[in-house]
Amino acid sequence: MDFVILSLVMLAIGIYGLLTNRQLLKVFISVELIATAATLNFVMLASSMGVGLGQAFLILAFSTDTAVSGVILALLVIVSKKYGTSDMGKIIQMLKDKGESEDEVQ
Amino acid sequence: MIFEILAVGLIISAVLALFLDEVIYAVAALSATFFFTALIYLANNAIFAAVFQIAVGVGTLAILFLSGEMLGDKPTKEASPKRTGALIGAGAVLSLPAIFLSVSGSTGTTSNLDFGDALWNVRGLDVVLQAIVILTVALGIAIVLYEKRKKGGQ
Repeated sequence: MDFVILSLVMLAIGIYGLLTNRQLLKVFISVELIATAATLNFVMLASSMGVGLGQAFLILAFSTDTAVSGVILALLVIVSKKYGTSDMGKIIQMLKDKGESEDEVQ
Repeated sequence: MIFEILAVGLIISAVLALFLDEVIYAVAALSATFFFTALIYLANNAIFAAVFQIAVGVGTLAILFLSGEMLGDKPTKEASPKRTGALIGAGAVLSLPAIFLSVSGSTGTTSNLDFGDALWNVRGLDVVLQAIVILTVALGIAIVLYEKRKKGGQ
């Protein structure tokens, strides 16, 4: 059993989700998974070495993670209010259609 | 043995959180991920980390449930048990490297620094600074709301 590999697998799953999902909420979940993987690696390594410092650094990691979550959620709310959907594919299509109609007017 | 079970649960719940179509189910799976992470911390005597993980996880999940229900798009296709089973199987397969592989290397020198010393002697400044930042933000929000109320009254 190796926590480095466990957190590496978690990181890989998170990055894959970040690259393939188009729902903004799923992107948020991917970011959470990546943050969890990083924290897991850090805490378990420190804990297995008997150093309390790893847990102390956890405070900083969680604060950063929470701040990132807040920013992503704020973006999600703004985008959903503006476009009526949180699907990035649909938003990009809407923007393309809007650009084409503006070109036709000109 | 307990670590292996927790690792399998962690990876399966992470895979389900990402690939379930229904947002609410995905958030429920993410809550399982946080729970398994906290259990892994607990099993490795990192009690503070486990408690903090649960505390932060509960807050994040509450907001995620609300925003998922309000802002998430409804899935176009129905969730099938076959797909869920396939996702669980994929998660179990993905957790195999963590169980059977190992990164060899020396653990380095162990330190006698315990958690209390580490927190207050090394990270004490961080904790105080974060408290100041949170207090400043709270005061700012209070002042903005007060000014808004004052303008509304006039």
